Amino acid sequence: MSKPKIAIFSLTSCEGCSLAILELEDQLLDILGAVDIVNFREGMTERSWDIDIGFVDGAVSTPTDIEEVEHFRQSSKMLVAIGACACTGGINTLKNYQDETDCRRYVYGEKFEWFPTIPAQPLSNFVKVDAELPGCPMVKEEFLEFVKCALAGKQFRLPENAVCVECKKKDNLCLYEKGIICLGPVTRAGCAAICPSYGSKCEGCRGLVSDEALAAAGVNLREQYDVALEDVLADFRLFGAYQGSELP
Amino acid sequence: MLDRMITHSAFLELVDELAGKRRIIGPVARGERFFYEEVERAGALDLAFNYCVYGPRAFLFPPTETLFTFQQIEGRFAAEAVVEDRPTALVGVHPCDINAIRLLDRVFEKDHPDEHYLSRRRNTLIIGLDCPRPCTDGIFCSDMKTNEATEGFDVMLFPLGAVQEVGASGKGGGGDPQAGPSVRADEPPAAPSQYGVVFGTPTGREWLLYSHKSTVPTAADERALEQYHRSKAAAFRRAIKTPSEDLPALLDRSYDSLLWEATARRCYSCGSCNLSCPTCYCFNIYDELDMTLAAGERKREWDGCQLPKFAEVAGPHNFRAKAASRLRHRIYRKAKWVREQTDLPGCVGCARCDRACTAKISSVEIYNQLAEEA
Repeated sequence: MSKPKIAIFSLTSCEGCSLAILELEDQLLDILGAVDIVNFREGMTERSWDIDIGFVDGAVSTPTDIEEVEHFRQSSKMLVAIGACACTGGINTLKNYQDETDCRRYVYGEKFEWFPTIPAQPLSNFVKVDAELPGCPMVKEEFLEFVKCALAGKQFRLPENAVCVECKKKDNLCLYEKGIICLGPVTRAGCAAICPSYGSKCEGCRGLVSDEALAAAGVNLREQYDVALEDVLADFRLFGAYQGSELP
Repeated sequence: MLDRMITHSAFLELVDELAGKRRIIGPVARGERFFYEEVERAGALDLAFNYCVYGPRAFLFPPTETLFTFQQIEGRFAAEAVVEDRPTALVGVHPCDINAIRLLDRVFEKDHPDEHYLSRRRNTLIIGLDCPRPCTDGIFCSDMKTNEATEGFDVMLFPLGAVQEVGASGKGGGGDPQAGPSVRADEPPAAPSQYGVVFGTPTGREWLLYSHKSTVPTAADERALEQYHRSKAAAFRRAIKTPSEDLPALLDRSYDSLLWEATARRCYSCGSCNLSCPTCYCFNIYDELDMTLAAGERKREWDGCQLPKFAEVAGPHNFRAKAASRLRHRIYRKAKWVREQTDLPGCVGCARCDRACTAKISSVEIYNQLAEEA
């Protein structure tokens, strides 16, 4: 079997997830031995559009992004969204709650009219996405696992548990015991609970673990916790984990 | 009956000597709470701790471990088991956690002996520390009859010095035993001056006796132990209305209770209750390949019956797809099924599940509400 041809693309984002691939320093040579990277703006100048697996970081937030993501889809046998921006819209979705013109003027200055934008959205709102590797940034070990599964013909599955599982495995004191409302119970695990491990509450960058967990959050926020609902909704919105105007 | 007496400082010297031969795990303060951690010296232990956030389970049954490594050599499959046998001592284990380890021992040795667990366990010395009073609010170890341990330890320490000091210092662990739960990690009770020692195994006896640091108990020491037990019995109060031996029958009547659904609507299915439970032993097995795809490791990691996909099988079919059925399953396991299978308590009443619950679901409240319905 010839080596799979891989491309790494970026839309509206900091491209930190693309960089996370380059940060896989210990495994990078192994990866390059197993795959051919044929298109990667962050890492090389050569370009090819014959692609087996296309990884995309960034949200769709401009008309150009729409054209590009459609092109990526057409050129890639398998399309994978990497990072919060590509999977949920990520931090870009904060602009969706602000006046579009004000926001654009703030970002682009006096020539703002030259730069049309749309509400920031995940890839899956525009094209078929075959897999998602969420997180801000994406977890590079998860990327590696995805590549290994693809090479071995094994099914890749994201963790389907909440972040709490990883806190317990790491012997962390639960932030709820300190009266802090952390999004760990509603957020998909896989990050090794990195934020709570350093004392910060989980901000849900890996997206919701399930609708049932979100529903439980609604019940607990109204009935159990003494906390302002708007504050928690703001936390949910930070990485676009949940963008509804109220909790279910 | 006491086997020996030892002062707190002589005990610490013994543990320091032990540190040359075994890794020492014991309670250590981290912020306002205590955790079991590896220490270099006995002086780093906080034996006057109230409770540890998690039990010492992780040192016998780690969150993630490799069961075997495998590789393909010239097209042939080869595997090699990984079994840990590092000599270890768990120092300062309360009766609840000793009873929990007894259950793990029973589970991992029956039917298919689990060499990964059993090897660690065989190489672990358990030094128990009895609780003169409840360690905190919300516990129900006396309901489960697990606030005392009769076996499962190599050596058990009774903090007799602390009891004699009760009422004298009026601070922290001293004072009125009825006010017990006021003990906090940021206000640690004074370390007891001496311990009454009971041997649980020949290994424990040999370890304590070889250095001549302990003394023969006197009649006064035996009286102090009796006083200790009386004071302890008065300090622990029941939290669950139903006696633990009647909980299986209560649950038999409660399978179709509306409580499960009503309580589970708050449940995130985050698994915090399972993963902080000292008697939970479920695990998931998976393979990790290296980049050659021809070699890797078979691993296991903690799993929990409250996690949404725990009961998912091929199909995929999930035979406990709803949080309510998972909650009921956990409570049945803890108060009925595990006891029926092992003849040991499936729950040791440490209340770590209740404290860990991000939705503030209380197992004590569940038992008491079911008793009211029944």
